[in-house]
Amino acid sequence: MLADELFLIAWDTTSSGKPRLHVQGVALGLAGALLAELVLHSRVAVQGATIRVADRRPVGETVADAVLADMAGSPQHTDVRTWLAYLAQRSITDVAGRMIAAGRLEREAPRLIKRKVSRYYAPDFGQAMWPRTRLNMALVRWQPLAAEDMALAVLVDSCGMTDVVVDDPAERKIARRYLTTVLAALPQPLADLGRHVSAAVGDAVLTYRS
Amino acid sequence: MLTRESGKQPDRIAGALAANRLGAPSVVFFVMSAAAPLTVVGGVVPSAIAGTGIIGLPIAFIAVGLVLALFSVGYVAMARHMANAGAFYTYISHGLGRPAGVAAAWLAMVAYNGLAVGAFFMLGVQASGLLESWIGLQIPWGVIALLAWLLVAVLGVLRVDVNGKLLAVLLTAEVAVILLFNLGDLLNPSAEGLTFAAASPSLLFSEGAAALIVIGTLGFVGFESAVVFSEESREPRRTVPLATYSSIAIIAVLYALSTWALSVATGPGNLVKFATDNSAETVFVLAGAQFGSVVVDIAKVLFITSLLAASISFHNTIARYLFALGRERILPAAFGRTSVRTGAPQAGSLAQSGVALLIILAVMFFQGDPIVAFFVGGATGGAGVLVLLFATAVAIVLFFLRDHRGEGVGHRLVAPVSAAIILGVMAYVGITSFDVILGLGPDHPMVTVVPIVYAGVVVLGVVWALVLRSTNPQVYAQIGLGAKAGTEAVR
Repeated sequence: MLADELFLIAWDTTSSGKPRLHVQGVALGLAGALLAELVLHSRVAVQGATIRVADRRPVGETVADAVLADMAGSPQHTDVRTWLAYLAQRSITDVAGRMIAAGRLEREAPRLIKRKVSRYYAPDFGQAMWPRTRLNMALVRWQPLAAEDMALAVLVDSCGMTDVVVDDPAERKIARRYLTTVLAALPQPLADLGRHVSAAVGDAVLTYRS
Repeated sequence: MLTRESGKQPDRIAGALAANRLGAPSVVFFVMSAAAPLTVVGGVVPSAIAGTGIIGLPIAFIAVGLVLALFSVGYVAMARHMANAGAFYTYISHGLGRPAGVAAAWLAMVAYNGLAVGAFFMLGVQASGLLESWIGLQIPWGVIALLAWLLVAVLGVLRVDVNGKLLAVLLTAEVAVILLFNLGDLLNPSAEGLTFAAASPSLLFSEGAAALIVIGTLGFVGFESAVVFSEESREPRRTVPLATYSSIAIIAVLYALSTWALSVATGPGNLVKFATDNSAETVFVLAGAQFGSVVVDIAKVLFITSLLAASISFHNTIARYLFALGRERILPAAFGRTSVRTGAPQAGSLAQSGVALLIILAVMFFQGDPIVAFFVGGATGGAGVLVLLFATAVAIVLFFLRDHRGEGVGHRLVAPVSAAIILGVMAYVGITSFDVILGLGPDHPMVTVVPIVYAGVVVLGVVWALVLRSTNPQVYAQIGLGAKAGTEAVR
């Protein structure tokens, strides 16, 4: 699933168990990914700043269906930003939860003194590295991207993680140039969603309170 | 955005979001900790009195507070329609046009830098004096200023949580110390007794009026940031105005009381001489006589943390401003990116630190007086903010003239027009007598340098906006949208 792949990019699940991206960014990025999953399944329609349920049939996955049910139950909220803010409140827990249930992730054992942010580890190194490696190769070698990978690329860029995926500074310029073409060719709902994730992450910087 | 549904079943989504949002007291606390009261009462006020010979600050704080309350009527009304509500240039872009907006953005950067950098000088002097009295070690102020600079630079890049609770404790302690000192001053009046001479409204029209206006405005800088939380507050229509008016009222009363108490303790006739003799020690010398050295030492430590908090706060304001400009692509896109791990607006933060370092080193190199440098920074910032307030007030009037957007005539016309007229007079008086404000005599280089810098950035801003309009209309259309650049149809 899209959000799982974003999680594996945003979280260092192979060594430290800590997030690579600041937690607010991870939460908003995953919220965007949960919405993008529904877009890719043609369950919701995004246009400009609004998002609406187009098809209430379940997707067959617990977290995605819970999001869909929430949206179907509150049709008065059509603002993308409202849903991003709402889903961001528990997107990390929800996405990590479904990955744990699928055996793709482990949460570190509970400690006496609770950490602010839990640590997560992936049991399978190759699986954990794959989304990042795949996206990196595609961007650096200018390979065509499948719809799901385009969505992944736009979300990675929207929460400011392009440099995490393209970790070699020498390759960043060329990768960014290709990314710009990819983003220009993006289906309009994903492009709109990406812009709103980016704005939400940016607004979080502007209204950051200590 | 989120609206409250009434009469229906409880809205689960709205409820879940509201649980995480801010009430008015939290917003007031945020504004006040950025305003750093002890920095104003202990630092700005005595150096202003000594530098310019004004005694009318008590009445100035009340008067400016009233003007800003009037200004805020239209300001909070317009904030509801702004994408990047925390920044003056957003209002000016939408009301006076985008070229004026970009000019205002540059002007704000200079003004906030004056405030951010100025604090380091006073901090250096105070910490240096304190260390000498404690351990007998003579450390030049410049060394300490540079250490403080390094701390602010590192915190800015790392976006370390300067714990909100810690800031709240420090703020409460600062206010407690100020009130204690006020009490001491009022219980020990000079031979002139409990006189209200320093609170006479006639002082507002006297020779030092320009200095009173600018320093009075300086005391309130930070009140404008309550509107940043429009989208983060529980009930934006109520929380933000309440927090804005409360902050203005608290600042006005606290500073008026403190400056009046100061005048009572020394006697209005002796105030200027006393402040000149004791410089940055003024408040502490008085308190020392009444409360002893332990209390004074505690107060001085709080003074230093207050200066540090002010510098951090303005540093962050500048870094976020530059971030918003980067997101709008008025500045290179790099300014619109954040550090991946911390989410800090890194480029903006580094830029501010670079500017601050240059200014500190310049003052050290030319062996400038750090207290004077502190005051010049503050007065420069105050004058700049005054001009921004005036431009914003005019922008509010024009914005609502085009489309009243459901605001009543009082909110969109009567209050903003009155505020614009008064702020226009204040800004005019402030700008035309900048030498009076600095109190350094008409021949001091800063008297000409500061206005030239301001005029320069305004011209550059307008030119830059016009260049964008012809070469990159897409970017031009986004000016004033902040982080939402790219998501909204241009209004």
